[in-house]
Amino acid sequence: MTMSLAVAINTFREAVRDRVLYNLIFFALLMIAAAVLVGQISIGIERLVIINLGLTAISVVGLAMAVFIGVGLVYKEMDKRTLDALLSKPIRRWEFLFGKYAGLLLTLAVNTTLMTLGLGTALCYVGRTFSRADASILVAVYFIGLELALVTALALLFSCFSTPMLSAVFTLGLYVGGVFTADIRSLGAMTGSPALGAMGKVLYYLLPNFHNFNAIALAAHGRAVPMSLIAANTAYATAYIAVVLLAAAAILSNRDLK
Amino acid sequence: MQIWLRALAVPVLFAGGVAPLQTRIDAQTQSVAREEEELLLRSGRLLRKLSLGYESLLADVYWTRAVQYYGRKRVGHDPHFDLLASLLDLTTTLDPHLVVAYRFGAIFLAEPPPRGAGRPDLAAEFIHRGIAANPDQWRLWADLGFLYYWDLKDYAKAADAYLEGSRQPGAHPWMKAMAARIAQQGGSRQTSQLLWSELYDSTADPNIRRNAFEHLQTLKAEEDAEQLEKIVHEYQVRFAATPTSVGDLVRAGLLPSSPVDPAGYPYLLGPGGNVLLHPSSPIASDILGSRPR
Repeated sequence: MTMSLAVAINTFREAVRDRVLYNLIFFALLMIAAAVLVGQISIGIERLVIINLGLTAISVVGLAMAVFIGVGLVYKEMDKRTLDALLSKPIRRWEFLFGKYAGLLLTLAVNTTLMTLGLGTALCYVGRTFSRADASILVAVYFIGLELALVTALALLFSCFSTPMLSAVFTLGLYVGGVFTADIRSLGAMTGSPALGAMGKVLYYLLPNFHNFNAIALAAHGRAVPMSLIAANTAYATAYIAVVLLAAAAILSNRDLK
Repeated sequence: MQIWLRALAVPVLFAGGVAPLQTRIDAQTQSVAREEEELLLRSGRLLRKLSLGYESLLADVYWTRAVQYYGRKRVGHDPHFDLLASLLDLTTTLDPHLVVAYRFGAIFLAEPPPRGAGRPDLAAEFIHRGIAANPDQWRLWADLGFLYYWDLKDYAKAADAYLEGSRQPGAHPWMKAMAARIAQQGGSRQTSQLLWSELYDSTADPNIRRNAFEHLQTLKAEEDAEQLEKIVHEYQVRFAATPTSVGDLVRAGLLPSSPVDPAGYPYLLGPGGNVLLHPSSPIASDILGSRPR
């Protein structure tokens, strides 16, 4: 576990060295522009736009980071043969994998936290005091965090056996498929064919359901998210991530690195 | 030196080359763009799917587009608001809880041309959709009541809407009073003044406030004109002649001084003794025609 922690910290340091957190400057500029401009060009949605834009940016930037850093995490180490040197130390392959995963999650957590602070500052700028209803913004951020954790696990899984380019395509494909799971199921049912209906149902449960983690609209309108949904989403993400990481560990453990 | 020259060349080339070329292209394509003013995607449900879960932000974008479209048409005195209903439909399909879009969108749709699309029927339908998606929003009931009262002149439905709205959680007490007043007095000017005053006092939005203020001024001018017409009639009875100007009424002792409209411009008399607004008065004469009697 200590070894995993060391890998995680190094992964985080590497991301910071690669100036990944520079995206925060873009985010800050986006928030400032939204706070200043929206009031001039629209009516009655200053607060909504800041929340929607802020949460969307947190999600999109996080997704880009999770996919494009995640797909290279293991592949790069294998490609540059640095994994051989690492594995000659007392560290098991699954520990290395878990460390990489935790390191990227830490990067994403820092990034998301700073962005959330930026969002809060922008909301303060447009003259808003915080109320209990704003807790739903934090819930939406938490759901985005769960979504990013799941995407990172998927990217890592593909990174264990494929090139970064293909891994990115697979991960993004799964993400898009995961957003449309409900449609895939209803499409299968609509065809009237029992086989396609069953396939739609299987895909519905098999694909990661990213629609579960969308609470941006609820947050924007200050609507409460039930505790039961928070618990269910947390359990769903944890279970799915566990399955994906176990599969990734199995692939990496059985992989011939020579 | 060479570095400075290169650094200078970038803005010079941009200002002297790229920007003028873009201006020339704009001039050539602007007419085409005007003709192609249409929505590529009219299905809100499809847009919702394509938004990949970010439909809330897309709704804000479409709402801003609707506001800009309405503003552009209004500034350009263009009475054709062909895309307005579609833009509002897209906005509220993407985010059915965007209450502001229902409230302002209904105003944009209901106002007579060139101030709006002149479709109060669509506006009422739109507000009904808003109520179905947001049943706890009493303000939407107030907007519906207002729409039935002012634009559709259906006072029974207006009273019903205010009454239904008064039953919603957090509804303002004046909702019930308004329902009773409309049921009792229909479209009297006092009721109209009360409605516009309430709208003026209850909103923080400068556009709605300005609109309400304009209507209040018009109603006041209408009231003044009625009073003046009574005095003109009195003059005709007393002197067996029609006054040619307001000055005649003052000189006859029927008025202490020359009266002015709420914007500060003097009232004028027409050839038959009818009261007219000063040509420079900003009071919206087009609203006068749509007032309830």
